Order: sequence, then C-alpha cells, then structure tokens
Amino acid sequence: MSPTIHVQQLSKTYKVPEREGGFSAAVRGFFKRKYKEVKAVQQVDFKIEQGEIVGFLGPNGAGKTTTLKMLSGLLHPTDGKADVLGFTPWDLKPEYLRAITLVMGQRNRLSWDIPAADSFLLNQAIYRIPDDEYKATYKELDELLELEPLMKKPVRNLSLGERMKCEIAAGLLHRPKVLFLDEPTIGLDITGQARIREFLREYNKRTGATILLTSHYMADVTALCERIIIIHHGQLKYDGGINLLSKKIAPFKLIGVMLAESNSHDLSKYGELVQNEEDWDKQYIQVKAEDVTRITSRLLADLPIHDITIADPPIEDVIEQAFNS
Amino acid sequence: MFLIFKRLWQVNWAEQWQYRANLLMYLLYWLVSPIIYLAVWTSIANVKGSVNGFTANDFVTYYMVLLICDQITSNIVIHTFAYKIQDGSLSGELIKPIHPLLTNGLVNNIAFKMLTIIGLIPIWIILFFLFKPDFSGVSLSGVLLSIPAMILGFFIGYLLSAAITSLAFWTTRVYSIHEFYFAIILLFSGQFVPLPLMPKVIQDIAQFLPFQLFMYYPIQLILGKLSAEQIIQGYIMAGVWLVVSILFFNWVWRNGVKRYSAVGA
Repeated sequence: MSPTIHVQQLSKTYKVPEREGGFSAAVRGFFKRKYKEVKAVQQVDFKIEQGEIVGFLGPNGAGKTTTLKMLSGLLHPTDGKADVLGFTPWDLKPEYLRAITLVMGQRNRLSWDIPAADSFLLNQAIYRIPDDEYKATYKELDELLELEPLMKKPVRNLSLGERMKCEIAAGLLHRPKVLFLDEPTIGLDITGQARIREFLREYNKRTGATILLTSHYMADVTALCERIIIIHHGQLKYDGGINLLSKKIAPFKLIGVMLAESNSHDLSKYGELVQNEEDWDKQYIQVKAEDVTRITSRLLADLPIHDITIADPPIEDVIEQAFNS
Repeated sequence: MFLIFKRLWQVNWAEQWQYRANLLMYLLYWLVSPIIYLAVWTSIANVKGSVNGFTANDFVTYYMVLLICDQITSNIVIHTFAYKIQDGSLSGELIKPIHPLLTNGLVNNIAFKMLTIIGLIPIWIILFFLFKPDFSGVSLSGVLLSIPAMILGFFIGYLLSAAITSLAFWTTRVYSIHEFYFAIILLFSGQFVPLPLMPKVIQDIAQFLPFQLFMYYPIQLILGKLSAEQIIQGYIMAGVWLVVSILFFNWVWRNGVKRYSAVGA
C-alpha cells in the first residue's frame, strides 16, 4: 500500500521585501525593492504510513508550520512534490479538504461573534456530515472535552483554553483521515493537555487516522508519538523512533549522585556537571554511554554515596543537541 | 448545497445583526453622497426649469430610485475580505471544502444588504415626504423587469469587486486600487450625474461598460424610460459581462491563491 503522506524534495522559498531604516532607504525602496530569499523548507523527504502518529519538531522558524501549511494545501511549494491520500494538497480539491483537518492557532474555524454551536452546525453542512453521524461525533467530543457548557457563549467570550478545545472539536467533526495539528495543546492547562492527548490517541486507535503534530510541550510528543521528524533551518535532521533518538544523537547518560554528607566533593573530574534545578539535593554528571559502568564503580569506590541514579537525558535536551549538531 | 447556504445565512445574519448599530452608521455614510446629488441637481433644475431636458422631478425620481438600486447592486467585499488575505486569516476558510468568496463572502454581503435595506426604508419614506416625487411613469412591468437586472448587476459587481479584492494576493495596496475602481463606477454608473447629462463620448463608452448595469440601467427600467430595444440591449450586456466577470474572477483567484503566503498563525 502506498504511504498516506509522501513528501519528496519539498521546498519553499519565501521572497521577503527588505530595506534599511531611514528616509532615503524608503525612497529608494519605492523605486526598486530589494528582496531577500528565505529558504523555509529545503528538499525535505519523508513518508508516513496510515495510522502513524508522528511528532514534527524543530525550533521556532525551522519550517514546521510551513511544511504543515503545504501539506494541508494552503501554500504552494517552490519545488518538490507531496502526495497525501492520493491528492496533491495545494490543488485544494474539496474531496481532499473533506478528508483532512488542520488545527492551527486560535482562530480558524469558529466565528468570533457567534456561539460555537452555530459554527459547528455550519461545519456540519460544509463537510456534509449526516445528522446521526454528527450527533455521535459531537457526543464523543463532548465527553472528552466537556464542550457543552461552552457551546452557547459567543466565541470571543471564551478563555484561550476553552477556545482551543472548541477549535479542535470543530476541526474533528468531519472525522478526518489525516490530521495536521500545529500546537494543538497550546494555551491549555495540564489536565486540558492530558485530555487532548488522550483524545488524540483514542481517535487514532478508533479510526486509524494519521496524525502529524508539532508541539512545544515535549510531553505531547513523548506521550503520543513513537516516531519523530526533526527539522532545523528547513532541513531534515532526524527521522525515526523517539527512543532511538538519544542513542543516535546524544549517546549520553545522566548519573545523579546524592552524597551522604553535603556537596563538598567536586564531581567534575568524573564527567560534565549538569544543572538540575528541580532536584537540588542531587548532583548530576553527564557521561558517555559506554563509560557508565566504569564511572559508576569509581564513584561508588571514591565517595560516600547515599543514593545514585542512572538515566537517559531528558528528551528536550537531546533534541536541543540534535538542533545544534 | 442548499443546507450550506442556509447555515451560512444563519451565521452571517447573526453576525451582522450584532453589528447593527455599526451598520446604521455605515448606511448613513453611504447615503450622504446620493442625497447630496439629489439635493444639488434638484435645486439647479428648479432654478433653471430643467437641465438638458431633465426636470426637477426627473432628478428626484432618478435619485430616489438610485438609493434603492445602489443598496441592492453594491457590495462591500473589499472591506470584509481583503484583510483576510493580508493577515493570513483566510487560511481557516481556504482549508474548508467550499469557495470562500463564492459562498461565505457572498452570503455575508447579502446579509449585510438585507440589514441596510431595512435601515433604508424609514429614510426613504422621510425623503419621499420631503421631496414629494411624482412616480407616475413607473409601471409594474418596469419594476418586475428591473429585479433580474439588479440581481445580475449585483453578481457582476460582486465578481468584479471580488477579483479586485483578490489582488491583495499580490499587493498590500489593494485598497487604493479599489478606490480608483470606485471612482470609475461613480462616473460610469450614472451615480454622480445621470448618464444622459454626460458628454457624448462618456455615454458611448458607458454603454459597453458593466457599471451602468449597477445603477443607470435598472433605474431607467423602473422609471419606464427605456425602449424595448434598449431593454434587450441592456440584458445582453448584462449576460456578456456576467460571463466576463466570472472568467476574470476565476483567473485572478486561481493565480492569487498560488501566491498566498498564509502569514501568521
């Protein structure tokens, strides 16, 4: 079977007008505008199979959102190809748009001046959702997101988190086969985030939908995605299992040491000291994976150790290192 | 498709209704210039007896009918849509499986009109008692014939404005382009001056332009001032311009969407 999402050499270059400050530059700019080319996405390739949940990561300005916009059809690429569910996204075929969703930012599918309930009914008509199917989906969404109390208020009077819940629900009413989610949990509190995650996992299991999501909350990614794609400066840096990432990019372990008597011993000769503010009574050192056993036994022999832990570095740090490599 | 338009109507009507005070202000602003033309031309005709054969009553009836035609055939798509292309809020509409301008934008404009027409009624009645026009030339058949003409005029005007609005894909200066377009409408539609009072050259050009279909043509239909031949000619022009404006809009839109940069969120 062909992959649900197949991206080949996808590239997007923006032409951005550029001028210096000041009056004379403004006059010159009026007659001859200078443009700078910004390569937002450069020859990116990947395939995503049906039913996968893939985390799309990268720092701000890496090209994540640009890629999602191209895959959902909003942007025409400068070069390259993409095939999603057998469609070229930017042809904007109605059949394609009915099969996907893009949840992006805070204001997309809901009209601010009227209650969300009215926008939902409009979406039902636009996506041609039969009544019974609409009711069933709405009920499911309501159970997970507790929408009912929010439905009757004008959207502009909802809080950030409430609006996000309604946005996500509005984007899923038509039961899309492919979900492009740009920061789906932004603005939500911890329980709200957990709910959305739970819901997405459940939705994926039940419908076999394919999900590509970006998030700044690493918990979203670690909870949902087995596979991640990292891009930086528009280029693909990593594509593979989330558990393999640390092995490939940062083959380090963190050794946490709690000494029996204060922190009087200098640990820097055993490995690189790492700050950890949450855990103030322990000191952490980062060592190469292959040195763990050797260094641990030296620590145990040399120092009055009360407690010792060995762990993988946090995924955030690993990804950070991946960006910088 | 019917259900989509019904729900779009409910949403847009509710939205416009929220801004009713705003709309009333807009309507008053909109009415200022035709009412000034009405007052100025009527006083001139009163002093001179007539202007090129136009009596004071001719001016009053012309502009009283113009107020209605203008409300029906005009649109505000530049104000409701161009900013969405510029600030990226079009994204939310573009990923829905319906055409943003030919469905939502259209219904939004019609909802807006419905409200302004309701607002126009009392103003029109007051003007009626102030100027006491003599509508004896108006016939039922003329009024009936003018209805499809105004609907055609609206669609042609909407598509042309939508095409100009879509220039926002290329330039942020789209508002000044639209102002220029608006000035042309003012001149060639018969709003500034009834067309027969214009220089012959302008009248000849105006005949072949779509703008007289927005005002002059339906006004004259209602007032019963057109010969059968002129009526047919007007409808043929309307048909031709409808096709032209559909093609023009489609071309601009298709090419524009390719340039859309979906800025912002």
